[in-house]
Amino acid sequence: MSTRPPLSGVSGQLVKILVLSVVAALAIWAATPLVHAGAWVGLGVVVAVTALVFYVYLSPRRLPAKYLLPGTLLLITFQILPVLLTITTSVTNYGDGHRGDKADAIAAIQAAAVKEVPGSPRYLLSAAWRGENATDGELVFLLTEPGSGEYLVGDAEGLEPLDPGGLTVDPEGRIVAAEGYTVMTPAEFNAHSERITGFAVPTEDGGIRSTGFDAYEGVSTRTYDESCDCITDSETGDVFVADNENGYFVTETGDRIRQGWQVNVGLDNFTRFFTDPDVRGPFTSIFLWNMMFAVCSVLFTFVLGLLCAMAMNHDRIRGKTLYRVLMVLPYAMPSFAMLLVWRDMFNADYGLLNQLLGLELDWFGETWTSRAAVLLVNTWLGYPYMFLICTGALQALPRDTLEAARIDGATGFQAFRKITLPLLLVALTPLLISSFAFNFNNFNAIQLTSGGHPFPDASPQTGDTDLLITYTFRLAFNGSGVDYGYAAAVSMFIFTIVAVISGISFARTRKQEEVYR
Amino acid sequence: MRTKTATLAVGAALTMALAACGGDAEPQTTDESGIDFQGTLVIWTDEERAESLKPVVQEFADANGIEIEVQGIAENLQDQFVTASEQGEGPDILVQAHDWIGNLVQNGAIEPIPLTEEQQAAMNPDALRAVTYDGQIYGTPYAMENLALIRNTDLAPEAPATIEEMVATGNELKDAGDVEDVLSIEVGKDGNPYNAYPFYASAGGYLFGQDAEGNYDPADLGLAKPEAVDAFEKLAWLGEEGAMKTTMGPEHAIPMFAEGKTAFLVTGPWAMNQIREAGISYDITPIPSFEGGDPATPFIGTQTFFVASKGENKAFAQEFVADFITGADLATKLYESDPRPPVNIEAASAAAESDPDMAKFLAAGEGGYILPAIPEMQAVWEPFGRAHAAVISGDDVEAAVKGAADAIQEAIGA
Amino acid sequence: MRGNWLTTMGWRHAVGLLAVAFSLIPIVFVVSSALNPLGTLSSTSLLPVHGFTLDNVTELFGGTDFGQWYLNTLVIAGTASVASIFISALAAYAFSRFRFRGRRISLLSLLLIQMFPQFLAIVAIFLIFTQVGEYWPALGFNTWTGLILVYLGGAMGVNTWLMKGFFDTLPKELDESATMDGASHGQIFFRIILPLVTPIIAITGLLAFIGMMNEFIMASVFLTSSSDKTLAVGLTGMVAANNRDAQFGMFCVGTLLTAIPTVGVFMFLQRYIVHGLTGGAVKG
Repeated sequence: MSTRPPLSGVSGQLVKILVLSVVAALAIWAATPLVHAGAWVGLGVVVAVTALVFYVYLSPRRLPAKYLLPGTLLLITFQILPVLLTITTSVTNYGDGHRGDKADAIAAIQAAAVKEVPGSPRYLLSAAWRGENATDGELVFLLTEPGSGEYLVGDAEGLEPLDPGGLTVDPEGRIVAAEGYTVMTPAEFNAHSERITGFAVPTEDGGIRSTGFDAYEGVSTRTYDESCDCITDSETGDVFVADNENGYFVTETGDRIRQGWQVNVGLDNFTRFFTDPDVRGPFTSIFLWNMMFAVCSVLFTFVLGLLCAMAMNHDRIRGKTLYRVLMVLPYAMPSFAMLLVWRDMFNADYGLLNQLLGLELDWFGETWTSRAAVLLVNTWLGYPYMFLICTGALQALPRDTLEAARIDGATGFQAFRKITLPLLLVALTPLLISSFAFNFNNFNAIQLTSGGHPFPDASPQTGDTDLLITYTFRLAFNGSGVDYGYAAAVSMFIFTIVAVISGISFARTRKQEEVYR
Repeated sequence: MRTKTATLAVGAALTMALAACGGDAEPQTTDESGIDFQGTLVIWTDEERAESLKPVVQEFADANGIEIEVQGIAENLQDQFVTASEQGEGPDILVQAHDWIGNLVQNGAIEPIPLTEEQQAAMNPDALRAVTYDGQIYGTPYAMENLALIRNTDLAPEAPATIEEMVATGNELKDAGDVEDVLSIEVGKDGNPYNAYPFYASAGGYLFGQDAEGNYDPADLGLAKPEAVDAFEKLAWLGEEGAMKTTMGPEHAIPMFAEGKTAFLVTGPWAMNQIREAGISYDITPIPSFEGGDPATPFIGTQTFFVASKGENKAFAQEFVADFITGADLATKLYESDPRPPVNIEAASAAAESDPDMAKFLAAGEGGYILPAIPEMQAVWEPFGRAHAAVISGDDVEAAVKGAADAIQEAIGA
Repeated sequence: MRGNWLTTMGWRHAVGLLAVAFSLIPIVFVVSSALNPLGTLSSTSLLPVHGFTLDNVTELFGGTDFGQWYLNTLVIAGTASVASIFISALAAYAFSRFRFRGRRISLLSLLLIQMFPQFLAIVAIFLIFTQVGEYWPALGFNTWTGLILVYLGGAMGVNTWLMKGFFDTLPKELDESATMDGASHGQIFFRIILPLVTPIIAITGLLAFIGMMNEFIMASVFLTSSSDKTLAVGLTGMVAANNRDAQFGMFCVGTLLTAIPTVGVFMFLQRYIVHGLTGGAVKG
């Protein structure tokens, strides 16, 4: 390397200054809206991150941090944080029917129970602020009753007649201006939708509420009472008491209101998973097939990819570029699209494969043909990836080592087994592990092809080609609603298994990593 | 009371007479309408509906000087809508089949729409019943859909009187080499409860019991009853006869009929564009029943507009969904873009005059079973489909039905 | 030499041809669907028997925002993959060259974090980006920047692993001699290491690009407006359950066109992949 001229440090310094100025500019840009909104926690984070960046890049030490910081910051915000948030849902009942908090649920229950007072009129509604030229403040409803031609004003106290003399109305009769009030334009009306739709002018039978630009007299048949923490249904007389442990309102007879809220359920989701025989039973067999699927996927793609890479790794082979492009094609096509195409090709009656091969196999109908089919598809999809990696790896092999081996009289195969393969594995083992991890959770490869088929009649929830992740997905999404809490718990469990397996394999790479050290 | 449909012309000149005013003082009047849409209404729907909605809604928006954006969501629309709504990032309006109502309501994602009596009276009563959940109307339906039997009149001139007759004719044609399959019906490897239902019903099965008001009772699960096993035996027979095949997916059923490879097709109005393009002679009749069986009632579904409860432009959205969607004008345009029978009675009778097919579809849906909107229905689809697929592939009927019933009951109970 | 040809070259062609045949079967089917005038799946066979048509192509460009999707995807995948490669190369250098506390555990965590099922993380992503969008609308939902940021969050993952493996194969004497020459760590990285690992940078770049072209879950959450969509999202919409058959021909055209940029990038990067400089440089 001594042939290279000593490098000057000036340009490096310039780059550093430039980058740090950009960081500073970004920080100011990010901080401005936070200051305006008074979001001090957010601001604190921005300041802290900026300070960290400056510290790391200005300090003469902290070498690894200089290289790791950008990726790590992004990783924490957009990967680790979402995962942590998801993990926290595993101890809740978050899912359909239990999405928001209790206040949301009460609001939804009351809103869903608003019924129009029978025989009550419809009004044309204009929303207004009390006072001239007001832009905020007390909200009132200015109403026109088209039948009688009466004009009314409604506030939080109730309804009162309005003197028509001070009004301007449009041809339909809707009030567009009124003395003593500032009538909202439709756009303003719309912008204040949330406040307006939440507002009701109390009347004897209920309240005047908005719907679009009209108003009607409605009454909520369900009302929440804080003193008993319960909801009373005025039509049926049912009293629904809050069950704060399970997150819903329930009567003594067990009738539940659908709209519930999210509560902490502790380890319930985990106990449910471990104690449910329907879940535990098939777990072992799914797990074994899952392992096999991942191992075989890695093995098949790697062997085929490496074979192709070796075949093409020669200077004088004709049509090399064409070969390479065609081999990479499966990977270049959108994978979900090709999975669907493969699925159609496996169709027993109309599929291309049976037609071409003259077979009458019900591919996804039998356990082993189905497994063979998904592995075949996954190999097709994955081998170009391994081919590319192996091509790169072969190129990067130190050529003198190989030449030395050849001079020592090693045959092609011996040289491959003794020298090339071990060297390749140094570079590729981490990748093989990560490929294993990817395939272990390869949701699309199963869901879009076999869909888990075949399913035994007795347990229509567990297919013979199901992976843990497709199985979890079915558990989570096909009950009477999405159950994120449970799915998160099951995923945590699966995640732990994969982590342990990967961790053990990873520990073995330590030796290889040090080969060149 | 003003007529809601007249406000279709809002933004254009309103022809409505000035409301008569009593009292001694008279308000001043202005020519300008009080309502005038501004801002952009965002509508979410699935890709398929987005395609047919877009041109109609766009035309409507342009005519009224408002902006409406129809966005097609490729996957997981329901979950994405609920999750996005929860965070205030959702659309103003959702367009979907009515059977999502139960789940959307339990998540507080939609609220009742207080339609006036006139608006309700203008709608097909079945459609209105479909969007009524727990005694409240949750959306404005605009189109209906149900299955019917379409036959190729060149191959099968006479409408079959029973399912048995249809299967026999199909088999004869197949043996004679005139067609490739007995019947075109989408099943797929996961089964298809929607398409299997009329046959299941004709053979004596049911899904959920109903109370006096027509509400579905999840505790009364038809699949757990002995009748279900008998009904599935009939489905198994259809499988044996080759009339239902798990290999026939959505990519086969309609095109094979359109290409003349089958004489019969069980499908809904969504297939009509494709069939008309194919240029074959066809007729539409109700699905026949099994010999001596109950009527083969299909599911009745509706395409419905919902107002998101946490949408940004809720006032505009409510106005749009309650006033415009109920009108005959828009219903007709939507019908022209996608030939599903309109919910609006006026538009439906106008369409029936110009298009006999539509009336035939409506007739085929008479007495149909309104697709349940209760959240428990979500737990039914997959196990029912699995059992369907299993029995037509020749698996043990009793085991398949029991497996499905157990799975559903466990999911509902949990 | 003639007899030798079989052992040195013949088997290479044999493997190549078999692999290419394997690769091509479904692709030929897709091509034949794309050209099928009936445009349906059930009427498509391996080789086109119904004649050829370009109707599917015209319909694709005329009836959908396909051109716009294409552009969006190139911009998003291009930007994100370049940035992502840079970030992971930096990280891989640190993991390969420095020994620091928590190094191996960080590496392992990097791998594990990738294994978390994404369909569960969607809710959290909504939570985060609702906040982000409130303060910085330029990064919220329906923006490319937001989506690119999410992609960059995953940049350190698999790519770092891949590159680190290759960085490890470069002898450390290289760094040592450069250090003696007075080069700083930054100079070693940019001027010495990076040029030596061009093949792997090129390959990782290609893989990252393909990965992002294919990415669907996040993109469909972020980009809902039709003109903002990426190819993966737009194409999936085309085969959404009921619609599948009618648009199959168009879908196949779209699939094939999607492969073009990837193949283009591959052709462009080929020379870097093939003419790796490693062999020569190590001798110093």
